[in-house]
Amino acid sequence: MGHSSRVLGHYDKPMWDSIARKEWALQYCPESARFRYPPSPICPDSLSMNYEWRPIKGTGEILSWAIFHRKYFDDFPPPYNTIAVRLDEGPIVVSNLVGPEPEGDWIGRRVQVVYAEHDGVTIPKMKLV
Amino acid sequence: MSKSQLSKALSGVAAIAGVGHSDWIADYAAVRGGAKPHDSFGYGAIALKRALEDAGIDKSEIDGLVSGPPTAHERMCEVLGIDPSWGAQADAMMGIQAAAMAIHAGMCEVVALVYGNDQRSAAVNYGGSNAAGGNAFLSYIYHAPWGFTSQGALYAIMLRRFMHDTGFTEADMGQVAVAQRLHASLNPHAIMQKRVTIEDYLATNYVTEPLHLLDYCLINDGGVAFIMMSAERARRGKRKPAVIHGIGRHDLSREATSLAPRLTNFYRPAQAKVAEQVFNMAGVGPKDMSCLQIYDSFSVHIPLALEGYGYCGYGEAAKFLRETGISLERGLPVNTSGGHLSESYMQGWNHQVEAVRQIRGECGDRQVPDCRYVHYSSDVAGKALSIIYGH
Repeated sequence: MGHSSRVLGHYDKPMWDSIARKEWALQYCPESARFRYPPSPICPDSLSMNYEWRPIKGTGEILSWAIFHRKYFDDFPPPYNTIAVRLDEGPIVVSNLVGPEPEGDWIGRRVQVVYAEHDGVTIPKMKLV
Repeated sequence: MSKSQLSKALSGVAAIAGVGHSDWIADYAAVRGGAKPHDSFGYGAIALKRALEDAGIDKSEIDGLVSGPPTAHERMCEVLGIDPSWGAQADAMMGIQAAAMAIHAGMCEVVALVYGNDQRSAAVNYGGSNAAGGNAFLSYIYHAPWGFTSQGALYAIMLRRFMHDTGFTEADMGQVAVAQRLHASLNPHAIMQKRVTIEDYLATNYVTEPLHLLDYCLINDGGVAFIMMSAERARRGKRKPAVIHGIGRHDLSREATSLAPRLTNFYRPAQAKVAEQVFNMAGVGPKDMSCLQIYDSFSVHIPLALEGYGYCGYGEAAKFLRETGISLERGLPVNTSGGHLSESYMQGWNHQVEAVRQIRGECGDRQVPDCRYVHYSSDVAGKALSIIYGH
């Protein structure tokens, strides 16, 4: 079984540092004017390797959701929800919806990031706006 | 690219002349009883021996070898005692496409494609902290901090969006498991032969909602092998060949980790491109297909492929399942062996075996009458691929 763990690739650390400061930032390419996620070495649109870490607003819209009924991680007892969110900056992120859950269809509901502590790591989650 | 510019160079060039596989039912029972009959190489070796026998050729005729993903290529060659002139490590679809190109280019004449997988006895996990494939597919592991893991979850969240966009329901989804189990009940090689109803389907637990247990493929040990050669040579052989009339591939990997190709268009642009390639190459269309074999790690693949390849319009899969049907009893039969859900989870390899047997007309109770063309499709991890098999 085992615990969940983050992927900490060569470009991930600055993002997780920003999350720890509760100021989630993503790579922004000035040439294509696009944000990207997950972090990567180059802009897939402009092929520019120049980027800045720009804080995101943390707002977006639920694209879809799925409820886990099986246990895959020691630290995630089922049932629990997962959501895919289209950030207002463009990229799609996966998260969990905390707090009240919508009745019926979740898709299209607006959400806002909230920061939660999980085993000593700050994780960005979402709540309904 | 306009249709006239699409290459037809591989149409009718190569054929599958022999197929073989391990005894999935016996090995499934043995592994559940705590035994481990073989490792991945052993399952592959059994399958190859049977494929050679089926094709009626000697091992010495093989001069090309494709090894499936679980078995290192050099070691597979060593185990089998084959020193080929051409080789590759590839999954079923990419292996067949590469082998057809190699045969067409004259790099080799007879290719053995060998797959063995001890995933059940080796307790391979497709989710969790050691999820298989995470080294190759970042989406399999990147979302673990939110508990999001497993390939099933990728398809569950995709299905939820598909339901939202098209009105598809869980009962519609259940049609796939029910039809494929019916097919498996007519297949002596299938592991799960007990028929199920929609009520049975809906009564099973969710694994990752909205997917039920019966939407998930089996996990079992086994092996599959094919012998490929030029269509001309195959026609002189022992068996009626399954000739490859069309073959094509298109990838959608942009934003794969953040799930955009799944959630925003269900891989439709890739499927549309592949449909154009393969139907144009084969000179046939969806209406000419006698049956479909669709890669079904999860049942969701079936409605998405029906729409993506033009068997019905976008958003019409539910209507197609209800009004036309996908079973041997009515409509357009899909996964006539039971597929990954009910026959055996051989990662697309067993679908080729079924396609070949349907073309040969040797499927017994599950034979599609007058089977002329079989369309195999897979859309897995950003790659849409298709083959049109025929006489």
